[in-house]
Amino acid sequence: MNETFIHKWQSQVKKGTLSFILLTLLKGKEMYGYEIMEYVLKHIAIDIAEGTLYPLLNRLKTDGLIDSKWVEQPSGIPRKYYTLTSEGSIALEEMKKIWEHLYESIKKISK
Amino acid sequence: MKIIEFANKSTNEIYLDYIRRAERMTKTLSENDRQDILMELNSHIYEYMQKNIDTDEVEKMLAILKRLGAPEETLPPLIADLKLSRATKTFNPFHVINALTLNISNGFVYVLFSLSYLLLFCFILLVFAKLIYPHNTGLFIEENGFHFGFISNITDSSWTEVLGNWFIPVILLVGTIIYLFITLLLKLKYRLKQKER
Repeated sequence: MNETFIHKWQSQVKKGTLSFILLTLLKGKEMYGYEIMEYVLKHIAIDIAEGTLYPLLNRLKTDGLIDSKWVEQPSGIPRKYYTLTSEGSIALEEMKKIWEHLYESIKKISK
Repeated sequence: MKIIEFANKSTNEIYLDYIRRAERMTKTLSENDRQDILMELNSHIYEYMQKNIDTDEVEKMLAILKRLGAPEETLPPLIADLKLSRATKTFNPFHVINALTLNISNGFVYVLFSLSYLLLFCFILLVFAKLIYPHNTGLFIEENGFHFGFISNITDSSWTEVLGNWFIPVILLVGTIIYLFITLLLKLKYRLKQKER
């Protein structure tokens, strides 16, 4: 097996689906940057670099798919919480359909 | 922004040095944008430092700052983007100049925009030319056509300047229209760039 090729392909898939993963994560709950990073590392085994995560969050915010707000903490160091907007929910539903369709199509041709 | 205090002197120095560098890099931004970036960096450092308590504090600080990257390398693209966003929102010429200066290395199209604004600036200079050399500046009509702008040596007495003192408002009006047009194109370019990413 060509492990290098598989590894490269896997990281491309992960990178390509990062927006989808972030929007899915933010569905129904608020999360802050570090929390998102830890969650994705723990549950999806993607170590998102800070230099990738924050520009991506900014872009999703510019596109109106997510919103953010600063929330004061007892420590005095506030956290910036990100949430899915209604536009983001609509986009997420569309992305889910595309993802499922792709998965089904691949399943069909691999039979 | 609240500065985090660490018991270890070395950790504190490393952290403060990083924050100072980030502050220096963001000083040209609006106070809101600047605070937003600094607070997000600060919050990320704080959250990271709260984990793995048994790890050496200095090592942990060095690790998170390495992950965040040097402000001199990671912040310029973000700053250039924020400047461009602000310039195309406000249409303020100072913000436009600032944004183009920061984005000039991001593609030939920004060089073209810079040249367009430079030409527009030269066009506006005709206002001063009209004030200093009123007889050599204007819209001159002659038998074979017309001449517009500053003509240093008018030899033909048949040339007639038709705009007179209206030349200045005409230049300012046309200049404003061209400025709005170029800035709208810049805004369109910025939106396309946002969508491409």
